Amino acid sequence: MQYRQIAVIGGKGPGPGQFAASLRGIAVDAAGSVYAANDSQITLFEAGGRLRRRWSTSQPVHSVAVAGDGAVYAGQIGQIEIFDGGGKLLRTWRDEALLGRVTAIGFFAGDVLAGDAVGRAIRRFDSGGKFRNNIGRDNPLNGLLIPNGMVDFGVDAHGVVHAANPGKHRVERYTPAGELLGHIGHFHGTNPAGFGGCCNPTNVAVRDRIYVTEKAGPRAKVYSFSGELEAVVAADVFDANCKNMSVAVDRGGRVYVADTVKLAIFVFEPVAI
Amino acid sequence: MTEHFTRRDLFHKAARGTVLATLGGGAGFLVKKAHGQVVWQVDASRCLNSRLGEVGVPACNLCTTECVVSLSAVRAVNEHSRCGRCNICPAYFNITSAVDERGLPSEKLCPRDAITRRPIGKADPEDPANNFYEYLIDEEKCDGCGKCVIQCKEPLGLGSIVLRIRYNRCVDCNRCAISRACPKGALVQVPVERAVS
Repeated sequence: MQYRQIAVIGGKGPGPGQFAASLRGIAVDAAGSVYAANDSQITLFEAGGRLRRRWSTSQPVHSVAVAGDGAVYAGQIGQIEIFDGGGKLLRTWRDEALLGRVTAIGFFAGDVLAGDAVGRAIRRFDSGGKFRNNIGRDNPLNGLLIPNGMVDFGVDAHGVVHAANPGKHRVERYTPAGELLGHIGHFHGTNPAGFGGCCNPTNVAVRDRIYVTEKAGPRAKVYSFSGELEAVVAADVFDANCKNMSVAVDRGGRVYVADTVKLAIFVFEPVAI
Repeated sequence: MTEHFTRRDLFHKAARGTVLATLGGGAGFLVKKAHGQVVWQVDASRCLNSRLGEVGVPACNLCTTECVVSLSAVRAVNEHSRCGRCNICPAYFNITSAVDERGLPSEKLCPRDAITRRPIGKADPEDPANNFYEYLIDEEKCDGCGKCVIQCKEPLGLGSIVLRIRYNRCVDCNRCAISRACPKGALVQVPVERAVS
């Protein structure tokens, strides 16, 4: 499998559709619209990359996700703000203990999963915001090993949570109840099938496969659920100083990667060989 | 009056000697320096090995080769509060070396084997990834070559290892030989009260 770059969305600057200082998270909804968590804003782009709207969050935003009902969840320090698709604030979940710094958000069967980088775990809440259980915390190290300072994960169609554990060079599989099912990945400093450096992968997205990004050098890769490397989506287009590049995948298999230095979203599509 | 001052001087010298003996060479040097005097220091934000923004360049070892002191007065120092305590530390391992049967790189990075590590807490014999590690630098071995520093800097590492002048080794040259050679102007003089020991 190979990929080719088809678009670049955003970029660093003051203009409409650009990002001023940070681009920490991205998400794609069922219609292919792209949501960016940048600065203290959510920025919404149409499927083709044209700016549709943007709205402010109460604090710098660290992650974004779109629920099945179209509600937009914005992860922040100590809280999650929930907006409708038009950017109207619906409600705010505040919990300094369980939502230390929310760097990823996902959904499963009506529940909301929040990656808390301070607690080094994924917090599972019901639809009303009531805490149910931790994921990734019940181990000898009391959490995921995240020297990069972010927890990221994806949830597959069966409800399996695939969480990056970069300090172990793994993507771990958990049940929503927090039981560790297994993992893929291993360290390797030169073979792209492995995860390099001190602590990779940093970010994960899941659809038909497992999509990851790494830092130093920055790259995006695709793995089968059994752990075989299927493709290196891209490497040299990203700024060499990038880390914690959020990744998302749409229904068509297009891969979106947020370059955290260039403040741009690179879009790639699979190419039939 | 003269006798009074002489006694006071003697007392101060004795007290200073006690402090110096107690604190040891590095901090002792700073104590010897009067307020307002300057000392040489490595500015990590300028040093090629630690400053952000440049990746993929070889380590600069001018602190080793240019210093007039044998084995250099510069040492790599791990600021433990910033260290990620990773299982696979790019400053400890040569991360591009072959992977061994434990899944770890087979070679260390430091040419003088100055860095050691030990698991924090109870070690998991089944899985070395199940541990945090503390990384220690032996200053008797380290010569400040900077190889570990450049591997530790962001984005590959967390930038916890930096180069520092050790004042118990530094002979306090008027015109530091490293500063004359440093292409980035990273050797700077700072007032002694702002010096990082």
